[in-house]
Amino acid sequence: MSTRRNVLKGAVATGALGAFAVGYSETVKKVLRGKWSGEQPRKNVTGNAPDPEYRVTADGQIELNPEQAVSYAMCIGCTSMCGVRVRVDKANNKVLRVSGNPYSPLSTNEFLPYETPVRESLAVLGQSGKGDGMLHRSTACGRGNAVLEQLDNPRRVLKPLKRVGPRGSGQWETISFEQLVEEVVEGGDLFGEGKVAGLREIRDLETPIKADAPEFGPRANGVVMLSSVNDGRDNMNLRWLKKAYGSTNYARHGSYCGGSYRSGSGAMFGNVKKMPHAKPDFEEAEFIIFIGTAPGNAGNPFKRIGALVAEARSSGKLDYVVIDPVLNNAQNGPSGDRSRWLPIIPGTDGALAMGMMRWMFENDRLNKTYLAQPSKAAATAAGEASWTNATHLVIVDENHPRMGKLLRGSDVGMKLAEGAKPYDDSDPYMVASDKGPVPVGDGPAPLFFNALVNGKDGPIAVKTGLTLLREEAERLSYEEYAAACGIPVETITGLAKEFTSHGRKAAVNTHGGMMSGSGFYNAFALMMLNTLIGNLNWKGGTIMLGGWYPDTNGPAYDLAKVVGGVKPKGLPLGRNVPYEKTSEFKAKQAAGKPFPAEGPWYPNAPGLATEWFSSMINGYPYNIEALILRNANPIYGIAGIEHLVPKLKDPSVVPLIISIDPFINESTALADYIVPDTVMYESWGFAKPWNGVPTKITTARWPVVEPKVAKTKDGVPIDVDMFLIATAKRMGLPGFGDAAIPDKDGIMHPLNRPEDFYLRGAVNVATVGGSAVPDASDDDLKVSGVERIRDLLQGTLKPDEWRKAATIFAKGGRYENKDLSYKGEKSAHPYGKPMQVYNEGVGSARSALTGRRSPGVPTWREAEFADGSKVADIYPLSEWPVKVISFKSPLHNSYSVGAKSLLRITASNTVNMARELAEQHGIQNGDQVVLTSPGGSVQGVAVVRDGVAKNTVAIEHGFGHRAFGASDITIDGVTLAGDPRLATGMLQNDLGLVDPTRSKPGVWVDPISGAAVRQALPAKIEKIA
Amino acid sequence: MDSSRRQFLGSIGQVTIGAAASIAGANSADAASGSATDATNATGPHWGMVIDLRKCIGCQACTVACIMENDVPEDALRTNVSVYEVVKEGRDPAMVMLPRLCNHCDEPPCIPVCPVGATYKKEGTGEVLVDASVCVGCAYCVQACPYDARFINHETQTADKCTFCVHRTEAGLLPACVETCVGGARIFGDLNDPESTVSRLLAENDVSVLRPEMHTAPNVYYIQLDEALDGRVAGEAAYRPMVTDAPESHGESV
Repeated sequence: MSTRRNVLKGAVATGALGAFAVGYSETVKKVLRGKWSGEQPRKNVTGNAPDPEYRVTADGQIELNPEQAVSYAMCIGCTSMCGVRVRVDKANNKVLRVSGNPYSPLSTNEFLPYETPVRESLAVLGQSGKGDGMLHRSTACGRGNAVLEQLDNPRRVLKPLKRVGPRGSGQWETISFEQLVEEVVEGGDLFGEGKVAGLREIRDLETPIKADAPEFGPRANGVVMLSSVNDGRDNMNLRWLKKAYGSTNYARHGSYCGGSYRSGSGAMFGNVKKMPHAKPDFEEAEFIIFIGTAPGNAGNPFKRIGALVAEARSSGKLDYVVIDPVLNNAQNGPSGDRSRWLPIIPGTDGALAMGMMRWMFENDRLNKTYLAQPSKAAATAAGEASWTNATHLVIVDENHPRMGKLLRGSDVGMKLAEGAKPYDDSDPYMVASDKGPVPVGDGPAPLFFNALVNGKDGPIAVKTGLTLLREEAERLSYEEYAAACGIPVETITGLAKEFTSHGRKAAVNTHGGMMSGSGFYNAFALMMLNTLIGNLNWKGGTIMLGGWYPDTNGPAYDLAKVVGGVKPKGLPLGRNVPYEKTSEFKAKQAAGKPFPAEGPWYPNAPGLATEWFSSMINGYPYNIEALILRNANPIYGIAGIEHLVPKLKDPSVVPLIISIDPFINESTALADYIVPDTVMYESWGFAKPWNGVPTKITTARWPVVEPKVAKTKDGVPIDVDMFLIATAKRMGLPGFGDAAIPDKDGIMHPLNRPEDFYLRGAVNVATVGGSAVPDASDDDLKVSGVERIRDLLQGTLKPDEWRKAATIFAKGGRYENKDLSYKGEKSAHPYGKPMQVYNEGVGSARSALTGRRSPGVPTWREAEFADGSKVADIYPLSEWPVKVISFKSPLHNSYSVGAKSLLRITASNTVNMARELAEQHGIQNGDQVVLTSPGGSVQGVAVVRDGVAKNTVAIEHGFGHRAFGASDITIDGVTLAGDPRLATGMLQNDLGLVDPTRSKPGVWVDPISGAAVRQALPAKIEKIA
Repeated sequence: MDSSRRQFLGSIGQVTIGAAASIAGANSADAASGSATDATNATGPHWGMVIDLRKCIGCQACTVACIMENDVPEDALRTNVSVYEVVKEGRDPAMVMLPRLCNHCDEPPCIPVCPVGATYKKEGTGEVLVDASVCVGCAYCVQACPYDARFINHETQTADKCTFCVHRTEAGLLPACVETCVGGARIFGDLNDPESTVSRLLAENDVSVLRPEMHTAPNVYYIQLDEALDGRVAGEAAYRPMVTDAPESHGESV
């Protein structure tokens, strides 16, 4: 054979291969023992496989299996929340298997028209269906197939628990739901450690939470709620916490997930709080750069992207590059050059993006027609699908009071309309012209401008946003960008050329790889590449989520409204507002030295759960009294947080911690009370996809099996919803109880049980958007298993409503048909606001620690700590030569060990390291190594790979658990021993850093987005002798 | 004995366009003559699978769906996806995901070695199956299988393997792994029907099989299978040092 080949054992399926080997080695030892030495299976040939859930005859007729149900519900194995079909053994209340819902675009490429009867939706999946039953193939992924095991997990919390030892000691007692509600509401000496304030007492809407700082709002803000992800039940949480209880402090897990990506995208989309984002149009794009995201390997929506990219690279027209420090399943060898991998130095994606931009500016490869349109009217006239502020003028005069802001009419003395105030919506943005600055009009404007213009108080230096971006791109040479990111100059420019050679049918996509110390600007720069070619809202370019059918505020019921509710006040715990709003700033300014603040502030960030923990342990900006975790695991998820845990174990720091969770994870383990929760197929909820679906979609979840949790004395399963309802009713909060939900005629309906809320939500989903779904037929109810909740539907809803709601459950949601994805060459659901080439919020804000401003356009910045110090200066390469990254596999996440089958495939994680790095340290495959960062160290098995960038080590997320069954749990004196299989491997977050420049301890976060830094951690590696 | 077509298969490890479909047909005809199987129903389906490696994303949905569907015991798998980082001189390293399962061979080496006739080829449709009520658990078949696709089920103490989900296909459904294949890499159907999706894929693509030198006439075909991997079927320990030289070549070079 002429070609030498090195074939390295794969990093992902190692466990699987091991399992094959185990099966073999046992058999060879076996001696002939005679017939039936083992257990007799159910059937001689097909073993213990249950009978099929239904049969399909050759002519496409369905025969149901009366012992099983097939119901369309929602998976929560990850945050994609796909529509799935759940096969249930009715007699045993057991989920047998899960695959996809063929109505759902999250599970099906060729998803069925919504009007298809449920019976037919099963028929198309049989051999007689189109494409031999594979055209409408609807799937669950590996994890989606496995997570049904979480329902039967022996360590599920099924009854309310109260700690009996010190916080975090793993000692619990079961208590009744009624005792739980009484204790958390009324407080008292709950643990024999002194008085603990209950929720009733803390709900003081008058007394300031901090005596000398009224801007932080009332004491009620001291109850804070961290919900991992909106799994379709967040509206109930928000109703309780914000509108009924009156606290402003609600956050989700984004700041330790992909927050820097979202913030960078949000800056371009002009909303840093809601952070809109687009996705490539995978089906129609010709060229995509995936950077810091891995289609088909991880990401969201996982299956849809994986399936579309697989199709596009084989049968379609897509070529793509995966730019990542580690080679992963996103690249596909059998697809040849259509799918390529390019290694990059971790955390340096912005250098690549700015280098590409430099080439695009120098070689006139911008979509200038698009960028020149300064307004919606101009864009419409030019046939564009969106517009930007590239031509808008920015004040760049250091001495001007509005330095960093976009120039407005009033800045140049323009007379405003009657009643208008300076800088409100009617004060126009200005563009350049031969006659000086003029308001944006309905035609194109100059792209580049750099001059002094006449302001109302004298000359003002202004530039267009695009001018600022060009200056930023040209600030460094190609060689400097290449040196920073480790990608040769010719590859950078080659990528730029390829990217700009497909018109608008090219896109850049990113996500979790942005969680480095340069994350915000890296993401902002990458996303800006899309704007420079004008691909937004175009077929083959980048497109938005098509929208959804909301459950809360439909034509039938107003579930968002709380009559007599509270409007929360005060600055948030996460300091994601301007420091200038605080009494601290005002006092320091009066004293002549406003900077530095006592800690960092993030005016351009959303709610920051990551920063909450710094706030809690330091009492800065204020102390809190109760932390409510809902299916959240920040103690596992935040890089470096382990350093803060000892303080959280001290009840004087946060006196009450309540965790609502089906499992005792690392964070739940620190709780004072654990409230059980329903798991996936046991619970209600309505979710929209995170992104990546061009049509409208609402996925519905309903209890297709009887929940395993204990019940209240009224017989209602105990879960998050019931806990919130019961505590609200005990406190007499508005919006709960017998008269809580107004219908369209203003008649009030009760909210005493979860279904009071969710069944009415289903009516809204069914009737919102100007059209209503058809009534579910008796056959739909029978085939879908919704017959199970027929009495509940009929008993709760109005006669003309219940069959419409039943349709939503029978079809697992509501889905707009696929043929409505586009209007001509444009997206049917376009984003309707301008792209911010220059973000004035970012460009005008000052760091609370340094007082310095940051660019309002994308840039390349080396990783920094909070005080502006370069990380590489404090932790120099000479001492910390390795960069560590975290990545996800297709199978594992922070709670995947709850599904034991996943551990059969990948039983642990490894230290994936670059070959050159391994050779330098004399490390070989299988060696034990220790990896040390300034934040901590982990030990594991080395896997030496060519598919890892130089000087890089990559660790899969999802292992190294301390809880979740990895350690002992004692309940009522009975100990369930920890299972070492659940404790295997490393947690990369243990290498996370506490920012050494913060005077009050806090983990290292991106200075703009406030998101946790887990990528490109400085480290060193050693072989263990 | 060996048909010239099988010789062709074995010699280069790849088959071209129409040849694969006709090989399957030819082997069924061989079977009818009584070598390993009972009989062939020429009018019924003969099941086969085409695996398009360009579409596999390595998500292991098939692996887990099979566990769930077939209650596969904890220390074994009936199918899985091996993941390789392939490094060729002068080329970037590349990922290859290789789904593996019983190949439901038309010349199955596992059948002749069974001392009690427990393992057999299903008449007509062609699945290689095990009757656990007859199997004595001697594991000869496990050793004979060139695809490492069999194991002894520690619960039943009998030979166990993929059945192509015969209980589902008999009900007009598809195998669990096919139903849930996210990328659409596993394509299943009737090789006797020239209009079936699998037959058309075999007609339109160059396809390969695993271990072509074993002349097993497998009914599982691969699109874009790198010949470096066509022998990679054995279970291997998790952290085995990399192969530094050319792997053993199973196809004789011509």
